[in-house]
Amino acid sequence: MTTYIAQRLIIFFPMLLVISFLVYSGLELSPGDAVSHMISPELASTITAEQLDAMREAYGLNQSFITRYWIWLTSMVQGDMGYSMAGGVAISEIMIKTVPATLELSMVALFFSTILGCSLGVISALKRGSGTDNSLTVAGMAGVSIPEFFFGLVAILLFAIELKWLPVGGRLMPHYETVWDRIPNIVLPSLVLALMMTAGAMRYARSSMLDVLAREFITTARSKGMPEWRVNILHGFRVALTPVVVLIGFRLPLLIGGSTIIEQVYQWPGIGSMFIRSVRASDYPLVMTISLMYVFVVLTASLIIDVLTALIDPRVRLGKE
Amino acid sequence: MAKTSLDRKFDQIKKREEEKSFSIKKRSRIVSKFLNNRLAVVGLIIFTIIILASLFAPLLSPYDPMRVDLRSMRQAPSFDHWFGTDSTGRDVFTRVLFGGRVSIFIGLGSAILSAVVGIAVGCYAGYKGGWIDVIALRVSEIFMSFPQIILVLLLVSITGQSLFNLMAIFILTGWGGMYRLARARMLSLREEEYVQALRSFGLSTFTICYKHMLPNALSPIMVNITLSTAMFILTEAGLSFLGLGVPLNIPTWGNILNVAQDILILQNYWWMWGPVGIVISVFVLCVNFIGDGLRDSTDPSQQG
Repeated sequence: MTTYIAQRLIIFFPMLLVISFLVYSGLELSPGDAVSHMISPELASTITAEQLDAMREAYGLNQSFITRYWIWLTSMVQGDMGYSMAGGVAISEIMIKTVPATLELSMVALFFSTILGCSLGVISALKRGSGTDNSLTVAGMAGVSIPEFFFGLVAILLFAIELKWLPVGGRLMPHYETVWDRIPNIVLPSLVLALMMTAGAMRYARSSMLDVLAREFITTARSKGMPEWRVNILHGFRVALTPVVVLIGFRLPLLIGGSTIIEQVYQWPGIGSMFIRSVRASDYPLVMTISLMYVFVVLTASLIIDVLTALIDPRVRLGKE
Repeated sequence: MAKTSLDRKFDQIKKREEEKSFSIKKRSRIVSKFLNNRLAVVGLIIFTIIILASLFAPLLSPYDPMRVDLRSMRQAPSFDHWFGTDSTGRDVFTRVLFGGRVSIFIGLGSAILSAVVGIAVGCYAGYKGGWIDVIALRVSEIFMSFPQIILVLLLVSITGQSLFNLMAIFILTGWGGMYRLARARMLSLREEEYVQALRSFGLSTFTICYKHMLPNALSPIMVNITLSTAMFILTEAGLSFLGLGVPLNIPTWGNILNVAQDILILQNYWWMWGPVGIVISVFVLCVNFIGDGLRDSTDPSQQG
């Protein structure tokens, strides 16, 4: 087991390094450098080439590409993420502000989608082939077909503008302090996100449950004269949901990616809407740091999944790969 | 020597094989299975209608999708303007038809092209193995380490916005999945006896993997192409909605929806964004139904 984890870790760090290098050089290829973004158009007409060069030197931009990458990398490892080009705010400060908002939204959405997806999937499996099963399958397909932002917009129009039950967007209403005051704001974005995520969870839960129901221990339980609900819940449900829960728990990166547009629609001050803003403003240091953070999360999650599946299934760690 | 009943049976099979009636029958089984799937058929019909409508857009609508007409701004749907008009007086129905051309082209085109790249690499690397396979696998892993939308946005910020760039980005982010699929099929087909036989005949690697092995991996690939078409159309819509996809002067479904970011339009002028949202949803749903139908009818484990 230790060797297996070690093998995974040996892949993990070079991967991160290669990706950071690729992203860094990709943004290097994009037009303009940091200095050209710092100068306002009015200033650009009066500034001389010498002054520009002096500025470049002051920011270390005249050094070679590799040197700059190395400086950036070492300071990144030490926790200094650099500064955003828009307003010169420290990126670490932006992260501290936005990451909790995204985690809050994602966790609530994950919670709802897991409960909803698992229960609907199990119901669908138990009533296989019935009208309920078919309509749930179709509903699940609709769930993955409707653009999430369109669904979000319709929800805003319905519940925030027409019915006025919930706020249109944002995370905190002004002058509200307690946790309870925050709840109205998170209801719409998290439910929209959760409903979009439910379809996948439902499909997993359904096929996993069908798999378990076909096994012999279910037949044994039935032949003992156990009531049907006990068979389903104690034997089927419990066994079927273990893999599903592990899987859903680690769809977190997918969730964070999926929340990007929803955050924008609901003006949720999270990392996703910050990323979109930085892409729009060509704020390259911020774009780079946020996308690398996403990569870090995805790679870590897949490392944990690998280790967990290896723990559950010895064939994985003893196999060739 | 008198023929036994078994010999006669063999003769019959041989005769039918020579008439090629076997392959026809096999295909018709797939078709009939697909046609039995009601949702897939409905999906295919609506899919065809939407594609034909956007192809023949100039015949269906007297308006120009780009022409600004300030006398008819923000009109509600009427007999003249089925989906109303937008803030600059352009006919929304016309724009939806013309937008469909671009959106479907991007979706289908990117799906097919990324499949071509993924299959070309996946078949060869999967069959040959060795260092090509190791490199391709690592490269695809790099692309898969990003959440899809994040990678697309990152690449948009590097390359800038244009129709061509967007398709290139979609292909770059989409080939990995197809590569893995093709590679996995090749790995399992590689050990089959017919492949070993072909190899012992001395056929070239290219002929073996693209002419003889690829057709046996085609049905999961077809299913995957449909599903990734749906995904690309949704991604394009999302990106253009954010104003980061196709440049705003080209009408696409996402670009038409872009106006809904304005809360006043969202509240007061539902026809500017509602119908096009429904058209996207219905189209993608149809594509998903078709994909599901294809999977059910071609999956050998479901063949009865």
